[in-house]
Amino acid sequence: MKRRHNPYLWSIPLGLLLVVILIPYVWIVLASLKERSDLLTTPPRWIFDLTFENYRQILSEKNFDTYLVNSLIIGFCSTALAVTVGTLAAYAFSRFKVPAGNHIFFYILATRLGPPVAYALPMYLVFFKLGLLNLQAGVILAHATFNLVLVVWMMKSFFDDIPREIEEAAYLDGCSPFQVFRMISLPLTYPGLVTVAIFVLIFSWNELLFALILSAGEMRTLTVMIPSLVLHTGTLWGQVAAASVVQSLPVLVFTFFIQKHLVRGLTFGAVKG
Amino acid sequence: MGGAQARASKRFMWVCMAPVIVFLIVVSLAPTIVAIIDSLRELSLTVFTKRGAFIGLENYRELLSEDTKFFTAIWKTVIFVAVVVPFEFVFGLTIALYINHEFAGRRLLITLLMLPTMIAPVVVGMMWRYLLMPSFGLVTYYLQQMGFLAETTIFSDEVTAFAALMIIDIWEWTPFMMLIMLAGLTAMPEEPIEAAHLDGANAWQVLWHVQLSFLRPLIVFAVMFRAIEASKVFDTIYILTGGGPGNATETIAVFAFRTTFIKWDLGYGAAICLVLAFFSLVVAALFFKVSNRAQEQ
Repeated sequence: MKRRHNPYLWSIPLGLLLVVILIPYVWIVLASLKERSDLLTTPPRWIFDLTFENYRQILSEKNFDTYLVNSLIIGFCSTALAVTVGTLAAYAFSRFKVPAGNHIFFYILATRLGPPVAYALPMYLVFFKLGLLNLQAGVILAHATFNLVLVVWMMKSFFDDIPREIEEAAYLDGCSPFQVFRMISLPLTYPGLVTVAIFVLIFSWNELLFALILSAGEMRTLTVMIPSLVLHTGTLWGQVAAASVVQSLPVLVFTFFIQKHLVRGLTFGAVKG
Repeated sequence: MGGAQARASKRFMWVCMAPVIVFLIVVSLAPTIVAIIDSLRELSLTVFTKRGAFIGLENYRELLSEDTKFFTAIWKTVIFVAVVVPFEFVFGLTIALYINHEFAGRRLLITLLMLPTMIAPVVVGMMWRYLLMPSFGLVTYYLQQMGFLAETTIFSDEVTAFAALMIIDIWEWTPFMMLIMLAGLTAMPEEPIEAAHLDGANAWQVLWHVQLSFLRPLIVFAVMFRAIEASKVFDTIYILTGGGPGNATETIAVFAFRTTFIKWDLGYGAAICLVLAFFSLVVAALFFKVSNRAQEQ
């Protein structure tokens, strides 16, 4: 828009908005660097002596290094699974007439629209009966399932963007359908594919309910363990803050890099942006 | 295309579809069948007498005709969605209109504004728990200094607890609405706006008759999408109130979780989950139509 305005006047409400949005997070970052005596004070303390003690404590005493690794393993395995299965399906949906395609497409969507708890219990019952509850396999499968719709919808929209003429030329040169997919269409979507993978990774990394229900003991993830630092005898807020920062900082860094496709990712490919 | 190539295409299509079909059978269809069977039994891990005898539709009958907590939870969820989504939409649209032009640092600004939506809901919950702590919390302290808040604990009062959860949800998801609206505004051609200005329309008329009518399919999509997501709210409530005090903030997802995994009544829980899954199939069918329309646009 070309409306002229005073940039200083214009940025005042924006500054206020940023304060409302960022202060809560800044406050938790500050808390993670505080000594115990600076955490619960009236009035709240903005200036204090820095310490990394909280980070040391959660990583070396509270086993958060283990949970961090669990979150990573679950994140990467479920991402690999969802992206592989979903990309192949997306290509089929984009290029071929899949019998009952609309029904399958709809079914995949439905797995994501219902409340996760409605899908977590049936999974729990199966894993409970198979005795697989204390493995990461359950959470990996669950995360791959609810992220499948994102991969299928987004990758389908990326495949749809590729002009058919490019593929047809390759067919005329004698390529098989697999060769066309592998050597031409798939490489053209690589930037999109990376974006999709980052989204799936973030959603898995941030997920609580499935991880809470389908994992136990040493297999638990960061999101499940952060609330466990709240104790009846008093919460160690410094440690909660440090764990929260460790959990969330990588997400913010990745958000900056995938910003171009943020809309597409957050709406499962329904809005192109 | 020749016949041989058509056959090759068909074969490759099945190669592409096979993994997803197997996957859906293993992780979705099989569990659903198990859940249907278990929903017909009385199966509890804590009550010794309930050891899996088949009781027909008893679980469903009890849920749909006797369980007042179930209907209270649905009602709470409806209120929650009906309050937060309009606020998120109006705030999101306002911010989007405000930053809908090029300026230095726009990309970084949008990344920063997206922070509440992108960080884990667990972290959002813990963060606000710390900010709203009685007397020591940053927000509580300044609110008390300004005289807005009496010496009460926010999360021990039914009304303030529910209101706080709503405000946190609005804080968390307004950026998401902003982002969708911004995408719609960016995609909008300039000519109609300029033409309206030339015809002497004022800013409000342009907004109402030109921009919003252009955005309408997207708005329908966004509001519906957020309503579905908001109806599933779980993480922040689990962290901040656990559904309490009493069951004042027990939305449907929290109710299902408590019944199933706190009381360990698996047969009854399975019935709840299947009823919810059925509801969401209906909603999904509706959503499918709306989003197809948004995509065509």
